[in-house]
Parts: sequence; C-alpha cells; structure tokens
Amino acid sequence: MTIRATGITKRFGSYTALDSVDLTVEPGELLALLGPSGSGKTTLLRILAGLEFPDTGHLELDGIDALEASPRERKVGFVFQHYALFRHMTVFDNVAFGLKIRPRAERLPADAIRRRVEDLLELVQLAPFAKRYPTQLSGGQRQRVALARALAIEPKVLLLDEPFGALDAKVRKELRRWLRSLHQEMHITSVFVTHDQEEALELADRVVVMSQGRIEQIGTPDAVYDRPASRFVFDFLGQVNRLPCAVSGGVARLAGGALTVPAVGDPAQGDAVAFVRPHDLGLVPDGAGLAQVTAVTTVGPMARVELALAGETLEAEMPRGQWAGLGLAPGARCGLAIEQVRVFPR
Amino acid sequence: MTGAVGWQIRRPSVLPGFGLTLGITLTWLSLIVLVPLAALAVKATGLGWSGFWSVASDARVLAAFRVSFGLSLAAAAVNAVFGLLVAWVLVRYRFPAKRLVDALIDLPFALPTAVAGIALTALYAPNGWVGQPLLDWLGVRVAFSPIGIAVALIFVGLPFVVRTVEPVLQEMPPEEEEAAACLGASRFQTIRYVVLPSIFPALMTGFALAFARGVGEYGSVIFIAGNMPGLTEIVPLLIVIKLEQYDYAGAAAVGTLMLLASFVLLLILNLLQSWMRARHVR
Repeated sequence: MTIRATGITKRFGSYTALDSVDLTVEPGELLALLGPSGSGKTTLLRILAGLEFPDTGHLELDGIDALEASPRERKVGFVFQHYALFRHMTVFDNVAFGLKIRPRAERLPADAIRRRVEDLLELVQLAPFAKRYPTQLSGGQRQRVALARALAIEPKVLLLDEPFGALDAKVRKELRRWLRSLHQEMHITSVFVTHDQEEALELADRVVVMSQGRIEQIGTPDAVYDRPASRFVFDFLGQVNRLPCAVSGGVARLAGGALTVPAVGDPAQGDAVAFVRPHDLGLVPDGAGLAQVTAVTTVGPMARVELALAGETLEAEMPRGQWAGLGLAPGARCGLAIEQVRVFPR
Repeated sequence: MTGAVGWQIRRPSVLPGFGLTLGITLTWLSLIVLVPLAALAVKATGLGWSGFWSVASDARVLAAFRVSFGLSLAAAAVNAVFGLLVAWVLVRYRFPAKRLVDALIDLPFALPTAVAGIALTALYAPNGWVGQPLLDWLGVRVAFSPIGIAVALIFVGLPFVVRTVEPVLQEMPPEEEEAAACLGASRFQTIRYVVLPSIFPALMTGFALAFARGVGEYGSVIFIAGNMPGLTEIVPLLIVIKLEQYDYAGAAAVGTLMLLASFVLLLILNLLQSWMRARHVR
C-alpha cells in the first residue's frame, strides 16, 4: 500500500506536535520514523493509523482519501510500545480476536480461524504458549504476540510504535533481526517509530529523521548517516565532535589555523562549525603533534580516546588493536588525521 | 517453631510481623464483628429449635425476607448498570462541573439515611413533585410500594458501585481499546469483549457491596416503604417491631436468619468473583 500524507499539522493546545509534514511511504518498504521524544513521530504514526486526527492536511492510502476512515476501514495493523495485549484473554484468544469479531458474512469458519492462529503462533515461535495469559510471558514474547495479533487480520500496512522500546538490549537485537527477516518474507508496507538511531539504521529501508514536529531529512540509512542534511541530523545519528573553524575554498582551518582539512557543506566561506565523528578522527604518533591524549577507556572491542586540541575536548574511537599499535598513552602528544569534515553555520 | 512441625504457617519472609499483625487482626475482628454476632446467635437459641422454626416459617417473616433480599438484589443490579455508566463518564470525559458531580456521588454515604428517606418520600409521594406526574401519567405508584423501597436502596447503594469501578477504569490503559479498534472491533464489541471483562471483578465487588448495604438499610426505607406487612415490610423493620413488642428472642432469631442469608449470598458472590478473577485477569 502507498501512504501519502501531505501538510499534516497537529496541535495539542498551544503545543505543535506536527508542523505541516509531508511523507510518502512506498509499497512494501520498511520505513523508520526516527527522532527524540517530542519530535512528533508517534503522533504521525497514530494519524496514519486513524487513532489521532490532524488539524489540517490530507492522507491518502492507495490514492483514496483516508482521513475519514476508521482504523478498521484502513486495514492497518498497529503494534504498541507496551504491547496492549488483552489481559483477560489467552495468547490464542488475543491473536484470534481480530478474526472472531468480524461480521458473520466475512468471518472465517471456527476451524479455519484456529488453523490461522496456530500458523501465526508458529510464525512468531510461540505455539507452545497458546494457552498462557499475557502476564505469564516475557516482554519479548508479549511483543511477538502483539505482532501476531496485528498480522492476523492481514493488514495492508503494519505500524509499529517503538516496538522494542520496552525490551532489554539483547532481546531487542534478536527481535529486530527477526522483524527484518519477517518483513523480507512478507513484504508488507511497514512504518516503525523509534528514538534509537542504531535501530533505525539497521532495520529500515529508509529513515525519516524528525525534530520538533518537522521532518529534517528522508533517505536511506547510508544517506542520512553519511550526508546529514542538518546539524540536528548529524548530532542525532551518532557521537560527534564539534570544532570552531574558518572555511575558505573548500578547506576548513581548525585549531586556530594549525590544521587544515577538506570541508563539505555550508557555508563555503567564513566562520563555521566543523562536525566530525569519533571514528573519522585518526591519530598519528607525533611527539610534537597538535593534540594531547588526556584519557582512554575501552568498551568491549573499541577504545575511546579523549583528546585536548587547542582548548577543545575531542573524542576519537578505534578498534583496541589499532590503539595498542599506536603506542600512545595518556599525556602523550599526537597528530590528527582527518579525511574530511562537514561544516555548518556557527 | 520453624521447621519443627510438618506444616508451617510461618515462612522466612522479608515482611516481618506476620505473627503480631495476624494476632491483632484476629483479636480485633473477634471484638468488633464476631462477639456481637455470636451474642445474637446465642440470644436466638433461647427459643429452642421449635421456637426458632416457628419464627422462621412465619408468613410475615418470609414475606419480609422476600422484600428485603429481592429488592436489594434488584437495586444492586440497577446500580451496577447505572453506577458503571456514571463511573465511565467521570473517568473518560471532561465536562464542566465534573468535580461537583464527583462530590455528589458520595452524598448518599454521608447523608443521614432518615433524611434521604424523608426527602425521597416527599418527592415520590402521590402528591410529590415526581410522584404525582408518575401516578397521573403512567399510573405508577412509587412511594408506599415496593418500587419506593427499590428507589431508596438504589439511592444509598450508588456510590458503592461508582467508587469500586472508578479506579479500575482509570487504570485501564487506553491502548487496549485502541488495539481492539485497529483489529476491526466496533465500539460495542470493544466494550463487550475488552472493557467489560477487565472491570467485571470490580463491578461484582460494587454489586456485592451495594447489595449488602441494601439488605441492612433501615432509615431511608421505612419512610418511603409504607411498611405494609407482607407487602412492603423489610426485615430490619420487622426486627424493630419485634423489639418494640419485647419479643427479644424472636428479634434475635430473625436477625440470625438474616445474618445467615446475607453470609451465604455474599460468600457466593465472593466465590463467583474469585472464579472470574482466576479465569479473566491474571
């Protein structure tokens, strides 16, 4: 299904949750709405589902105006952050709910419903838990039940609101992989909301970065990571070092002119701020270098190196082996090797 | 005492004070509830079995029991429906003077029941503001009939249902209803299959409390009932009448019967409730 939202604006009192947002979701794609809390991503998702109504704007599902349609008419499957399973029903009854409540003319016969629910429980690897109640399941299992329940009605779109937000890191990662492979199998148009940039980059075909009710950038994970359109996007998608600089002729002068690095972005001339990611910051052993190592922490396979450069604090990140090969220790001076910086107006 | 016996009441626990609190609880319950009730039963035994039986099988007593329990059940049922509606409106919607309406609900708790009874009687009497039109247009006589008793019992029982259902409704996450809507459920189906089962145990509690209150209610009923023996005479009034005739043992016998009937009914309601809880909300 193609979703086309245009000029969607939503206010809650004096607070503007969405400010004239345009978004098109292509059939079969897995799209991430990424942003910090309060960026309007969940509101947008709820508007797509028909759980919330915009003040102005249009919404078309497969070319048909859908704003007047109820959630049931839109044929959306919605997965909630906190699962929203029916507490008084077993896993089986939860998944069967959407099938059992159909009008008699459209309803499948009872044994067909049972087979379909069993298939879905098989798909989400919960077949042995059919008779359990939601509170007897772990968070990851509950979310899989919620997913099976949403899929049971054969929705044309799957909308997921922070589907892994309430789960612990390991389960989250597993479920993420599993959802990715499920999407590859079923090719159902899916939109999910997340505030976790890693999740969005790993899972989505395209990422929509949102901030304060506006869309900052839409693109593939690589595009938004490598070519962020704004300082917000750059900032939000990972760790970043910010350095004041002067730009001229495609070159940024850092640390008071002592270091020159090729620069892309805006402005092309004058004072700016250079953005560079910790893993793009190379170190060169040099007793007379510009920078000084102030501290080192190792997190798993990576070494995080804190540096002082002309009164600014920088962070570099590299594999531990590479760090060991440099032979540097806190207090030592070193040179910096930066391939390129992205500059934004100061 | 731990470990020495085959079964243990007391297990190692991070919540200390089990023995102390249970001891106080039992003593307190005995003093406040059990001893007076036992005294009542002892008093009733003064009649002997045959005397007790003749009181219990008396037509006037049986009719009073029918009136008391029948109308209490009916009033509790009406309260369950409308109390649920009131709780729903109070929890789900915002409207002007909501606080005021909220405070009104508790008035039947606080108002002396005799005051309520007199007010209701004045309103519903054949010449009252509400009673007259009802009698003229519909031919329904409210005051001095079983309907009047039901009206009084509905009045005193309402807050029990509202106040037990309200917090449960408040804590019900709206997501469950939204999920039902996304799965294609109509509003009616959502309420029937999602909302009601979740709040049913609380509704049962409210029903049981309203019922228990109705059975014991005296002050508001005697004014509006008309108190015709066999027709609109409630059990508590019958007890008072027996007392006024210095028939203390007879009064105690009726009281004991009432106690037994109430206990059995409340026990059934409680069992029903725990069965529902086990089945529905885990």
